[in-house]
Amino acid sequence: MNTTRLIVVSFFASCLAMGCSPTRDERTAHKAVIDYHHGDYARAIDRLRPVAGKPDENFVLNNARLGSAALASYDLTTAENAFLNAYEVINATGTNSGGRGAAAAIISEKMKVWKGEPFEKAMVNFYLGLVYYMGHEYDNARAAFENSLFKLREYGESRDRDDEYRAVESDFVIGYVMLGRCYQRMGDQANARKSFARAAELRPGLTGLTNYQQHAASNVLLVVDFGQGPRRITARYDSAFVGFGPHPNEIGPMPVPRVIVNQHVLAGAHGEARISPPIDLLALAQEKRWQDIDTIRAVKDVVGMGMIGGGAYMAHKASHERGSAQRRDATAAVALIAAGALLKASSQADTRTWEMLPRTTFLIPLRLPPGKHEITVDFPQEPGLAQTWRGLVAPERGEATYYVRIQPRTSGVHEWPPTAVPPPGVAAR
Amino acid sequence: MTREFGKHLVLGKVLHGRQECLPHWRFSRALSPFLACALLLCLLTGCQENTAFSHGKSTALDSVNLVEMTDDMTRKLLGNAAVQSEMAAKGRLKVVIQPVENRMTAEVLPRGAKDAFIARLRNKLQEAAPEKFAWVVNRDAWHAVRALELDAGPDPDRVQPEYSLTARFSSITKESSKSRSLYYLCTYTLNDINGGTLLWTGSYEVKKSAVKGFLD
Repeated sequence: MNTTRLIVVSFFASCLAMGCSPTRDERTAHKAVIDYHHGDYARAIDRLRPVAGKPDENFVLNNARLGSAALASYDLTTAENAFLNAYEVINATGTNSGGRGAAAAIISEKMKVWKGEPFEKAMVNFYLGLVYYMGHEYDNARAAFENSLFKLREYGESRDRDDEYRAVESDFVIGYVMLGRCYQRMGDQANARKSFARAAELRPGLTGLTNYQQHAASNVLLVVDFGQGPRRITARYDSAFVGFGPHPNEIGPMPVPRVIVNQHVLAGAHGEARISPPIDLLALAQEKRWQDIDTIRAVKDVVGMGMIGGGAYMAHKASHERGSAQRRDATAAVALIAAGALLKASSQADTRTWEMLPRTTFLIPLRLPPGKHEITVDFPQEPGLAQTWRGLVAPERGEATYYVRIQPRTSGVHEWPPTAVPPPGVAAR
Repeated sequence: MTREFGKHLVLGKVLHGRQECLPHWRFSRALSPFLACALLLCLLTGCQENTAFSHGKSTALDSVNLVEMTDDMTRKLLGNAAVQSEMAAKGRLKVVIQPVENRMTAEVLPRGAKDAFIARLRNKLQEAAPEKFAWVVNRDAWHAVRALELDAGPDPDRVQPEYSLTARFSSITKESSKSRSLYYLCTYTLNDINGGTLLWTGSYEVKKSAVKGFLD
């Protein structure tokens, strides 16, 4: 084989290889995701830490994954750094310029720096805000919660329809509630009332969650992540992006948690306070206006088909010619068909997903007597899904925020503080 | 398909195993645009630094703003008549520094940056007028050092600062699907703790904007 042909074949082969096969880092991240769903957060962090440090196209995604694992294990320093890394790249513009965009368009869409859909960007900001909130750094928490609302707002605006502002924001009411709590802690009561009022206006059914007094009086906040978030799914035959799944109707309604404090049901089913799911990321992901991310792949697919069609025409034309004209058209036909086939082969949908996202996040403010408590969060409609935490501290002044990730394999009894939390007297962060 | 035509098909050539049927010069001439594209792509993707940060434009406050801002504040503070008369009256001013208060809209200011924006000003003041200031350790910082069992110096309860140097950063943020822009107002203040008065205030303003690209 001569040099020119060798180059062409190598180029085609490398393009296909780049577009299809997962890299070593991607396989490592995949293993970390499995560890996370098994409740082995420490192992997930160990796997993700090196890959999240690489500033490649998966930088944001791997840092979001690392942040999720670190938050679940109360390693707040790692969680803050990871979400902050993701936040900085998400907020930057032109990240995919300088050849990366062209490479994504021509070779594989996976080569673009993943920044997520608006609801994923909003969740990065929400978790960053939550980490700051847990560390009582309310000014930065407020800024991050505000940014979570910005990330959803931009899409409402992009369709040039003012009424979509409201529709998009209403689905992310947890941003408003946490914003209200931040203002309360910062002593800005006017803005706190405004945030809770806005949340109540957008979701009138969430009366308990949007109650100003209830939040002001609480000294413990439980943040409970439940279920599995949306994933990008593709068609079986041509790898075309078909949307996010599963659809909420396939899974059914979300179960409502019950909070038992020292064997006394305090909130949820049969409790004094009512709990409702404030968001449903599965429903949020079904917003049709967000599902236009497959543009590059679709264009490549169509162009590839067109080139193959053009090549077929040239081949047909060449079959009726003689001499140099035939040779010229035949070569052009080959080139067009090969290029078209390459484009089609490389037009795989970008299915990278932040797999740790929950279906919903329950916010449960509690007023507890100062001291240590045993708190159980269970789901009466989902037997076996329950976590009991012994020794959770309700402070006399201020508040404590506890994050609970409910998963089938993390049910059982847990002791507070977990290993990632330093003992009293040692600065955590 | 004629026999002649079949000889010039790449796929046909591979199938028939007849390497001699496609002259080299025709092959390379027809594919030269593709080779050029491939080489160009390789140059674009492989030869330049192309990380997740190398091309992004951020609207956050950066090191350039840090230097500009703190240099400007140093000049303004030392040149202020009220500060000079206080120095003349009291000699060294006992000042405690507080981290920046983030009042920006939708813009996080990490802890390190919060400290840096005030610490650099302190360092510049110390360099410019070392005999005019006595810096008192911030109570939180003192307790943090103490928690690490390091020597934190005297108990801050015994050294009473007379002034506090702090800053508050505010912003107006606009974000749409096309762009993100921020107008920053960074206000520094030197407060008389005992008198409850504002001895000096200075501000730095900057506007930053970035246009979003196709894949942003």
